[in-house]
Amino acid sequence: MKDTTNEKIGILRKVVRLFKENQVITILLVLIGISLYLGIHTKTFFTAYNVFNVLRAFSWIAISAFGQTMVIIGGGIDLSPGSVMALSGIITGMLLVRGVSVVISVFAGLAMGTFIGYLNGTMISRSNLPPFIATLGMMSIARGFCYGLTNGWPIRKFPAGFLYLGQADIHILLWKVPLPVIFMIVLAFISYIFLNNTKYGYHIYAVGGNEYSASLASINITKIKILIYTLSGFFTAIGGILMTSRLGVAAPTAALGYELDVIAAVAIGGISLRGGEGNIWGALIGAAIMQVIRNGLVLLGFPAYWQPAAIGAVIIIAVMIDQFKKVRSQ
Amino acid sequence: MKSKHFKMAMVMMIFAAFMIISLFQAKPASAGHSYVFAWIPKALNNPVFALGRDGAFKKASEITARGPDSVDVIYTGSVASDAAEQVRVIEDVIAKGVDGIGVSCNDPTALIDVINKAVNAGIPVMTWDSDSPDSKRFTYLGVDNYSGGKAAADLLIRHMGKRGKVALLTGVPGALNLEERIRGFKDGIKNYPGIKIVQIAACYDDINKGVQVVEEVMQAHPDLDGWFFVGLWPMFAGRGSMPLWERASLSGRLKNVAFDTLPVELEWMKAGLICGLVGQKYWGWGYDTIQMLYDYVAHGKRFPNWVNSGMDIVTIKNVDAMIKAWNTHDFTKPLPSPF
Repeated sequence: MKDTTNEKIGILRKVVRLFKENQVITILLVLIGISLYLGIHTKTFFTAYNVFNVLRAFSWIAISAFGQTMVIIGGGIDLSPGSVMALSGIITGMLLVRGVSVVISVFAGLAMGTFIGYLNGTMISRSNLPPFIATLGMMSIARGFCYGLTNGWPIRKFPAGFLYLGQADIHILLWKVPLPVIFMIVLAFISYIFLNNTKYGYHIYAVGGNEYSASLASINITKIKILIYTLSGFFTAIGGILMTSRLGVAAPTAALGYELDVIAAVAIGGISLRGGEGNIWGALIGAAIMQVIRNGLVLLGFPAYWQPAAIGAVIIIAVMIDQFKKVRSQ
Repeated sequence: MKSKHFKMAMVMMIFAAFMIISLFQAKPASAGHSYVFAWIPKALNNPVFALGRDGAFKKASEITARGPDSVDVIYTGSVASDAAEQVRVIEDVIAKGVDGIGVSCNDPTALIDVINKAVNAGIPVMTWDSDSPDSKRFTYLGVDNYSGGKAAADLLIRHMGKRGKVALLTGVPGALNLEERIRGFKDGIKNYPGIKIVQIAACYDDINKGVQVVEEVMQAHPDLDGWFFVGLWPMFAGRGSMPLWERASLSGRLKNVAFDTLPVELEWMKAGLICGLVGQKYWGWGYDTIQMLYDYVAHGKRFPNWVNSGMDIVTIKNVDAMIKAWNTHDFTKPLPSPF
């Protein structure tokens, strides 16, 4: 009898500790809360079609946010994702319409994003530019290339093999899961393992937590910084190419302002903008919360003119709940 | 050592930048009656303005070819829609010295001062597409967005009938031209109590958000009878990106009317997905503006306060003529009747 009570208390303690230690739990509860509300108040929210529609809609934001998470944990910030998404899509699109094979075109788009990320990292670590300035400049340069390369016109008419990436559904159990969603989940696991179970991941946390002590621990800070911005560019390019494929168009104005969505996803996910703490799942849930709100407001028939205000309010409340929990657990 | 290389690289880059800039310098002007007009759109990143630009260059080369005068067009503007940046561009143009300016204003009030500055410096200014009515511009060439919205309502009623559930997709809420179209549309259906607007959605001029929101509205209202796309945003996406909308439209129940007459939309119309388009005469923004500037400066012709540029109504009846105009880049012939 006594043993079982002790056991129960033990389990309870474990649950409490999970709540205290895992910053993602509160924000996940917020997401579940919003979803339940929408499930009750609309007929369509919890249909498989809508759930996968929502998942696909934030997949490219989330994928880019995985890279952004590493940058922010490493103590930096990347403002270039919106432009990099558009540019990698345009590079891929330009090659596709010239008859280049899908594999090579996609590879070139990814290479472009990765290269821009590498340039960001190099500028920041070697010439000591503040990340805000370097990536702000890069945001403008990449967007300029988008306009310059296309003369402002969107690129359309891609081969079916390319459209498959963003538009295909894969049958898993009872569901038809959009391919971008599968990419998102796989990349989330890879990023999680990379950040939490490898030497590099540990170094990223160390550099973001305290650059000076990291350097005393003989961590190669330059290398880590180049690495995180390169990864951010790479992930963002994946997102950009998936979005281009889903829409069937590479527009020079695509993803305008999406860097804010990406950074917001990371911040909502409890990843400290001061660096050194947080994890990938936070970014995933942060991106989900924003898209669920957008989707829900449309399904509810909420007036379009008031939607930005509602989105902003929900974001602030979500982060406040998270902060409140953090203060109490300290 | 490293920083020395870095400095060298910087110097090289700056040098290269100057080389590139000097490549783009204007050609030397020829002698005689030569006029230079600046044609300034709201933004360089919007493809519809590229068509206006082509119209402007076409008119300039026509006048020059006819002689004796020659006309040159400077095409410049802010990259994105930004009133402050546009003011700076116009100040540069004034400093450079031109014979006339045609501008599509990002903001009616923000541009008053700089337009008046140009006029006071002896450079006549006219507005096109988007006006600054309180400035000293000599005329405004533009479409009446309100009647455009009414025309869209008329097109929808012709195809959908006198009753049904309708949804609207707008861009940035509050944009004056879009609000005027919506107002015209609402007045156009006012006399048909059977027609109900069930939702006005916004996509913030973003193709991705537009596609997303159209599909969401289709889920919320599976029995929708009509769409009025106040702009063409989701139409830029390819086939297959909006499966619910496409299925409903192809079944013949859902009728779609959209603003603008760009080639992408003509394709959707040919595929049977859109039944009516109301478009501005983008080409005329450049073609007619340069003619008017030339007439004003060279021949002293005067214009009324507002010149209606008119609009194109395209249905399946005359879509081929419009496609031909786009293919040949010749928009000078009037379209056949849409009905």
